[in-house]
Amino acid sequence: MTTNGSRTRYDAIIIGGGHNGLVCAAYLARAGKKVLVCEKRHLVGGAAVTEEIHKGFKFSEFSYVVSLLRPEIIRELDLPRHGLQILPLESTVTPMPNGNYLAAWGDHDESQRELYRHSPLDAERYDDFGIMMHHMAHAVKPILAMLPPDPTSLSPRELVALARFGGHMRSLGEERFYALHKLMTMSSADYLDEWFESDVLKATKSASGIIGTFLGPRSPGSAYVLLHHYMGEIDGAFRAWGFQKGGTGGVSEAIAGAARAFGAEVKVEAPVTNVIIKNGRAVGVAVGAGDEYYADVVVSGLDPKRTFLGLVEEKALPGDFLTSIRRFKARGSSGKVNLALSELPRFTCMEPENIARWGGVQIPAARYLRGAVSVSPTMEYVETAYDDAKHGAFSRRPYMDVVIPSMIDPSMAPPGQHVMSIFCQYAPFNITGGWDDAKREAFGDAVINALAVFAPNIKQAIIARQVLTPADIERITGLTEGNIFQGELALDQLFFLRPAAGYAKYRSPIERLYQCGSGTHPGGGIMGASGRLAALTMLGDWPA
Amino acid sequence: MTQRYDVIVIGGGVGGLATAALLGKRGMDVHVVEAREHLGGLTSTEDIVPGVPCDTVDHELGWVPPALVAELGLDRHGLQLLYCDPCATALVPSAPSESIALYPDAQRTAGALGRYSTNDAAAWPAFALRVAQLSGFLRALYEVPAPSLFASGAGNLVSMLALGRKARSLGRNGIFDLLRTLPMSIADVLDESFENTTLKGLLGARAVSRILQGPRSGATAFLFLHYHVGLPSGAVRGMLTARGGVGALAGAMIGAAKAHGVSFRTGATVARIDVKNERTRGVTLESGEEIVADRVVSSLDARHTIYDLIDPVHVEPELSRAIGHVRMRGATAKVNLVLDGAVPLPNVDALRGPLVVAPSISALERAFDNAKHGTMSDAMTLEVRVPGVLDPSMEGKGGRVAVSVLAQWAPYGLKSGWDAASRGVLGDRVLAALESAIPGITNRVVHREILSPRDIEERFGASEGSLTHGELALDQILFMRPVPALSRYRSASIEGLYVCGRGCHPGMPAAAAMLAAREIVRSARGREPAATPPPAPQVA
Repeated sequence: MTTNGSRTRYDAIIIGGGHNGLVCAAYLARAGKKVLVCEKRHLVGGAAVTEEIHKGFKFSEFSYVVSLLRPEIIRELDLPRHGLQILPLESTVTPMPNGNYLAAWGDHDESQRELYRHSPLDAERYDDFGIMMHHMAHAVKPILAMLPPDPTSLSPRELVALARFGGHMRSLGEERFYALHKLMTMSSADYLDEWFESDVLKATKSASGIIGTFLGPRSPGSAYVLLHHYMGEIDGAFRAWGFQKGGTGGVSEAIAGAARAFGAEVKVEAPVTNVIIKNGRAVGVAVGAGDEYYADVVVSGLDPKRTFLGLVEEKALPGDFLTSIRRFKARGSSGKVNLALSELPRFTCMEPENIARWGGVQIPAARYLRGAVSVSPTMEYVETAYDDAKHGAFSRRPYMDVVIPSMIDPSMAPPGQHVMSIFCQYAPFNITGGWDDAKREAFGDAVINALAVFAPNIKQAIIARQVLTPADIERITGLTEGNIFQGELALDQLFFLRPAAGYAKYRSPIERLYQCGSGTHPGGGIMGASGRLAALTMLGDWPA
Repeated sequence: MTQRYDVIVIGGGVGGLATAALLGKRGMDVHVVEAREHLGGLTSTEDIVPGVPCDTVDHELGWVPPALVAELGLDRHGLQLLYCDPCATALVPSAPSESIALYPDAQRTAGALGRYSTNDAAAWPAFALRVAQLSGFLRALYEVPAPSLFASGAGNLVSMLALGRKARSLGRNGIFDLLRTLPMSIADVLDESFENTTLKGLLGARAVSRILQGPRSGATAFLFLHYHVGLPSGAVRGMLTARGGVGALAGAMIGAAKAHGVSFRTGATVARIDVKNERTRGVTLESGEEIVADRVVSSLDARHTIYDLIDPVHVEPELSRAIGHVRMRGATAKVNLVLDGAVPLPNVDALRGPLVVAPSISALERAFDNAKHGTMSDAMTLEVRVPGVLDPSMEGKGGRVAVSVLAQWAPYGLKSGWDAASRGVLGDRVLAALESAIPGITNRVVHREILSPRDIEERFGASEGSLTHGELALDQILFMRPVPALSRYRSASIEGLYVCGRGCHPGMPAAAAMLAAREIVRSARGREPAATPPPAPQVA
């Protein structure tokens, strides 16, 4: 470390204190590097933050559940010691318009019995489906931890990587390889049609295939997103999603804690305005009102569009790379409604007369409200929600993933009261006429109305509500178009094409400028894989 | 008395005819059985009313490999291929003067586009070149059996190496562009290059034709490129037909087949493929007549072949399940019209190519939305051909003019069901869309023939009326087509059973026939399949 006047010199500067930036920082610091993280907001976490928006109520404002965080990161950074504590989310209940419901539980037999009520055939096939998805997730898992090979290169190292990739595919065997091919290319609706007949089951499962994308369940490519979200299930039981105790921001805090313990410096309220480039080489960053920090390497955890179109001078980048980045799709499609509630919602599907009518099992609220409630009653419902969005409007009846964190962690809300997190799709960033306050409130109303169909008391239970459109997500977190994955998880934007052909290995056209956000392979969710692989790549290149 | 042949080919469409002719040429005694009285299947040309010929269902040929034309000497049997010129013209219902025409020559098209958008005009030549390069790679892929990670043998390796070489010729950027483009939606691809909504509607309609996907659906860019295989460079949205209509291709193949001793039977429906001891023995017709052969080749779609013609005891459950999952989903109807005079369009030159009514990507997408939810759009997407203008041999007698219309979207799975009433609604909506684009045309209609997807299924045997024998999507091409177990054109469990036709890789009947015939000849000789190029054409 050297000092240059008032300017401090670092080995590496990381732009953006989101979870990937923090993971990257932690790995670099762990390897003995002097690291600075610059975060524009007053707290770290990016889209994984917890804030007290209404007094006494703590909201995981954006990202609200955790499951994809890579186990090797948890292990290598010793995150539990820094406060990581995931409380499992044990069930999913889908209320149906006729008063019935479909539930999936942590207990396999219980889920199967429940499914039997809807379709004996589906109950029979449920195991086979689970086994197949398990194998598929295992087939993809090594790819997530793999540097994408360059299919165009003839260098021996790349050919070996490509051959290894081919070998991995062959090792799956024919049946599973074809199943994987289908998952990579099909729509989730078609894929699920091959397995199940129960509409409500398919609708609920297909919802995983649309999260964060601008695709409907019938759009080819959505099956891959389904698999991406299935990944979290492989290390645990059914749908091993969970909450971080104290809110999602706790995950970011834990990673930041690990990074600091290894010696990294984390600065908040330090918005980077541009990357300083000298002689074609990144040498530092300019922050806020004129501070400059210098380092051997600069790493951006921001999305590719914000990094290369916002922080770097256009003339420093080759034309075809710029074109690729401009074409990179980051269409925000989801919104978030956070509620402070005076009482719990009462879902009509759990009322005794409906239970009796449909032969369901009476579940106490204290149990099913500890899990998720999925508003995805039919395939038609979810697909129609998409139709609205693709024609430039928010969904009049959106798909919603509803959780009540205070049921699991009472410290999130005052005693007897609750916080509810509603992830809703679709809310397109490019809404006709643009987002404004009136549209935001109209969207919030649509969400509440759609939920009130199944839980009529919700309206009078609301103490405060926070509605976040993709425009709000962009404004607050900086994610371009409010896309929660820093770029859609579409087949043309994955693996060696993420974020741009030839720049999928965390490097960039500018020497010593790296990328570590989820806009790089393997993509979004609170996964951390991009941050880790970026750090390992840089350490391999060092001195850059 | 039963008759005995070396090979029976089920179905006398282009796929079946080409396969039969190729096998006949190899000295096999081949018999073709066709359910209709007319040969040609979906690629037929018939008189809709006496003296007025029209393409019965499909009105373009797709790729006809030159190697096939040469090997069968199809030109000697009367085949004269014709390219539409202009490639296509977009009609704008609200503004007839705003029509946009695409020509085989990219510079000419760019010049024409300049009237609407200088940006689009500037982008056009590079786009046309890109389409030619990427579809050129598909063409190489379509000349060999689909490479497989699991197929053994030198043949597969040779296929893979040939493709690897072809891929390298695209260059680094070309390879990335190919891998990136194939899974994209056509809407995204077009938005990257163009701004004019009419132009994007015109091009977008091509990428969704014959399937149940909208322009915003993934992998429609693949289908767009698929339709460009074999077209001359620059001829974006080009279309191939033949003098005398698309049926002339079938006609030439019949000539070639007969010259090689192939025999035909029409008006004979195959009731089942006879299997004994896991071997085909021939077929039984609905009349009860048995025809004996060592080998049976079906050019029908895989679902029809496996589900309807083979006793389930001979079909493995895995195969049966895979076949059940093949998406057919016909959504294209055919309307053939006879006018009592010329098409009332001032721009007569436009009639030398297809006219397209697809005003914009969002109009296409909305029309598709209806079909997706099981209803019929009231804003139909149309592709209209007036065959007698490009090809005088297709002129109707007595001044009558045939008009061939492919209309989307009329889903097979119409919620209200297909009957005379819904067929009537379909006809009315097609005519209404046509009238809005070509005012005055409906007054001249003296006869109309409407084929819903259900009608196409019943009359041409295509499951769900799918004009592609299975949707052309990334999960239903290459080694997945029609299903992995049949992707090498033969059944592993029933010896002597083969498949060909558009339901097989590469999804175009003439090209599939070459690959299927090669496989049949090799396995008849008991040799391992090898991917050598077809033998050089023989000059008679």
